[in-house]
Amino acid sequence: MRRWLLHRTAQATVTLAIALLLIFFLMRLAPGDPLARLSEDRPLTPAQIEALRARFGLDRPVGAQFVSFVGGLAHGDLGTSIQYGRPVTALVSERIPATLLLGGTVLLLNFTVGVWLGVRQAVRRGGAADTTLTLLSLSAYATPSFWLGLVLAWLVGVKWHLLPAAGMEDPLLDPGAGWVAHAADVGRHLVLPALTLSIVSIAGTMRYQRSAMLEVLRLPYIVTAEAKGLPTRAVIWQHAWRNAFFPVLTLFGLWLPLLVTGSVFVESVFAWPGLGSLAVGAVGYRDYPLLMGTSLLAAAVVVTASLVSDLAYACLDPRVRFS
Amino acid sequence: MAGVVAANSAAAAHAQSPDPRSTVVIVTGGEVTMPIPTLMEGPAANVANSEIADHLFLRLANLGPELITSGDRSFVPQLAKAWTRRDSVTLAFDLDERAQWQDGVPVTAQDVLFTLERARNPAIAPRLAELLRNVVSVTAENDRRVVFRFSHPYGEQLYDAVWHVAPLPAHLLDGIPPAQLRQSSFVGNPVGDGPYRWVRSVPGQFIELAANERFFLGRPGISRVVVRTASDPDARMNLILSRGADAMDNIPPPLSNLKRMGEDTEIRLIPVPSPTLGFLLFNQRDPVDTSRPHPVLTDRDVRRAIILSLDRTLLVRAVYGSYGEVPYGPTSAILWIRHGTPKPAGLDRAQARRLLSSRGWKDSDGDGVLDRDGMPLRLNLNYPSSSGARQQMALLAQQQLRQVGIDVVLRQFEFPLWSEHRNAGQFDIDFSATSQDPSPSGLTQGWSCGGGTNAAHYCNPTVDSLIERAIGSSDRAREAWHAALRQIEDDAPAAFLYAPSYVYAVHRRFGNVTIRPESSWLLLWKWTTGAPAARRDAGY
Repeated sequence: MRRWLLHRTAQATVTLAIALLLIFFLMRLAPGDPLARLSEDRPLTPAQIEALRARFGLDRPVGAQFVSFVGGLAHGDLGTSIQYGRPVTALVSERIPATLLLGGTVLLLNFTVGVWLGVRQAVRRGGAADTTLTLLSLSAYATPSFWLGLVLAWLVGVKWHLLPAAGMEDPLLDPGAGWVAHAADVGRHLVLPALTLSIVSIAGTMRYQRSAMLEVLRLPYIVTAEAKGLPTRAVIWQHAWRNAFFPVLTLFGLWLPLLVTGSVFVESVFAWPGLGSLAVGAVGYRDYPLLMGTSLLAAAVVVTASLVSDLAYACLDPRVRFS
Repeated sequence: MAGVVAANSAAAAHAQSPDPRSTVVIVTGGEVTMPIPTLMEGPAANVANSEIADHLFLRLANLGPELITSGDRSFVPQLAKAWTRRDSVTLAFDLDERAQWQDGVPVTAQDVLFTLERARNPAIAPRLAELLRNVVSVTAENDRRVVFRFSHPYGEQLYDAVWHVAPLPAHLLDGIPPAQLRQSSFVGNPVGDGPYRWVRSVPGQFIELAANERFFLGRPGISRVVVRTASDPDARMNLILSRGADAMDNIPPPLSNLKRMGEDTEIRLIPVPSPTLGFLLFNQRDPVDTSRPHPVLTDRDVRRAIILSLDRTLLVRAVYGSYGEVPYGPTSAILWIRHGTPKPAGLDRAQARRLLSSRGWKDSDGDGVLDRDGMPLRLNLNYPSSSGARQQMALLAQQQLRQVGIDVVLRQFEFPLWSEHRNAGQFDIDFSATSQDPSPSGLTQGWSCGGGTNAAHYCNPTVDSLIERAIGSSDRAREAWHAALRQIEDDAPAAFLYAPSYVYAVHRRFGNVTIRPESSWLLLWKWTTGAPAARRDAGY
């Protein structure tokens, strides 16, 4: 087990290094001047653009830029954002809490509600509830999240005034109002973006869980468990679901990066100050340092998620552990 | 006893939170990162920063209602209560003795000297140093009098002295090396002399300002200003319509957005002249080999024919409705020199066909596209995908030009890529848009032979000399500028398409609402709250 863990960690490190190389050089291969957008508000002369190019080190050969980036990375310095003129580490760390909150809420809803509904569907397959939930989940899965976000913001936020239409907190709330008031305020703002992302992702998890559960429910050991007179709840959750959870666990590994990247469109529609909107802005600006920072973080989470997912497999399934 | 303590605490808490009615929440697309004079360079040289800096730091003088940048008479005293012209290159400013920094220290001539010294240093502030290149010295005659000397006589000396940079508090900053100012605590908690003081910033979300009760020009009518950030226009509009914000700048096209906002009876829409100018720029060089002239567009008659083939009024109406106009020459709606200019040429397809025919362009093969020596009159039109307005207009322009036999191929690029093509001269026609300063002297950049942003390589020495004469002129500056504009229009280096007004949305509970074209919220401190204001109680 220990050897396996060491091996997988080494693999993850190599993957991350390859990702770093690819992101850095592919980004620079993409056409478009990173300083172009700086002259959008106020036109810059070529001399001013060249001065800025020197300031951000963009006038140096790409290889030298890479060495400089890796040197900075070793000291926790990801450089200065071209768009914001501030350290990338500061920008990223400011946005991480909002992203973790939104992504974490969505993941939690996804893997509690989604799994539970998927299991219920499989157990009552062919029934009215299964058919209704199948239709609903397929519709939700086919719904673009940005469209859903726009509709919810308009309907719930603008038309009915039930919840805030955008933002993460009420700027008029007294900063000294106490953590309960602040938590409640953030919670109110969280509902719509979290709901928008959850509706689509829960639908996906439901479909996966339903299929996996149906596969397992057909196996002889489930029939044996039922024949032995075990309570239905025990058969479903202790015997069937434990095996039917593995495919969903893989899905969990795929969804985990959502914690970091969030959803670009949903963050924009709800003015949610997360990393997703920061990253998309960086793409539009060709803000290399910021793009490197956010991409590297996303790559690290993808690699870690894969590692965690494998580890969870190993812990839950002895066959994986021993192989 | 406990009851008294609780009541006092409640009262204190109430005192700390200003009346929400006396608060204005503005939602804007850009994030405020560095609203400090002399530091708004490079990435920080944007509208979001400069508009907040205008609340915190006072200039020596502001532009007057007509936005005239030439001469000494059209400015409004701010930090300087008066100014005197000593000779053609010397201006003396007397500071208002009531002015003080928000920490109670009086504003003195030393503050002006300190700031100008930093602003004129290209190593510290390259953009400002370029703008202030004609200032040769700034000296203090006493604590309240500052004297500016200029390198030569020209019309915008006062504008240069007062507009580009507002003084900083020397007593707080002179111990900080210029290179470290950006990282200093002052940036996180600036102390200014303007109508509002800095309270806090929540990155990515909002900043908060509070009224400077000791503001020497008068107590601000709005006690708190919150500026929220939402990059998505739909999110900004939703915040206004859900009462999450009171005011918003620039409701973007399409026109349905204006309709949607206009249906809210508690919101008033205020059109304000904008610094934006949109135009089809004709490349004078061959995009394949920029050392050679363009095979088609170096011909002035072809360029004129293209302009005459466009129904520019229709294009503007389609995208901006009644909130835009066709400009005469490269003049946005905020440039004072646009007043009194002739009417731009209208649609005249017959004349366009005649011009093209006279230059040998005929439809010899009957395919609807003009040709000459076997070469069809086919031109690429580049535009950025980030601009819905330009995309819509490009499609309409393509249809209109097709009617006279000009085949336009639309090429949409992502903004950085579009910009790269433009700067490299890789285009036939570029759908450009620029944001102009109030000063017309910026026209040298785009329309003179050596202009830094002259991507099309348009060059007419007559225009250069007319612009130079206009910049140097004080008394008859408007006429001089008009002569330059006439020559540019005559040369037809571009089809000047639109000079829009920005439409602002402001809640009706605010009165005395004035929005300035050069800095939207500059006069926000004069706004009032109370009973819903009358419909006409707003403007610029």
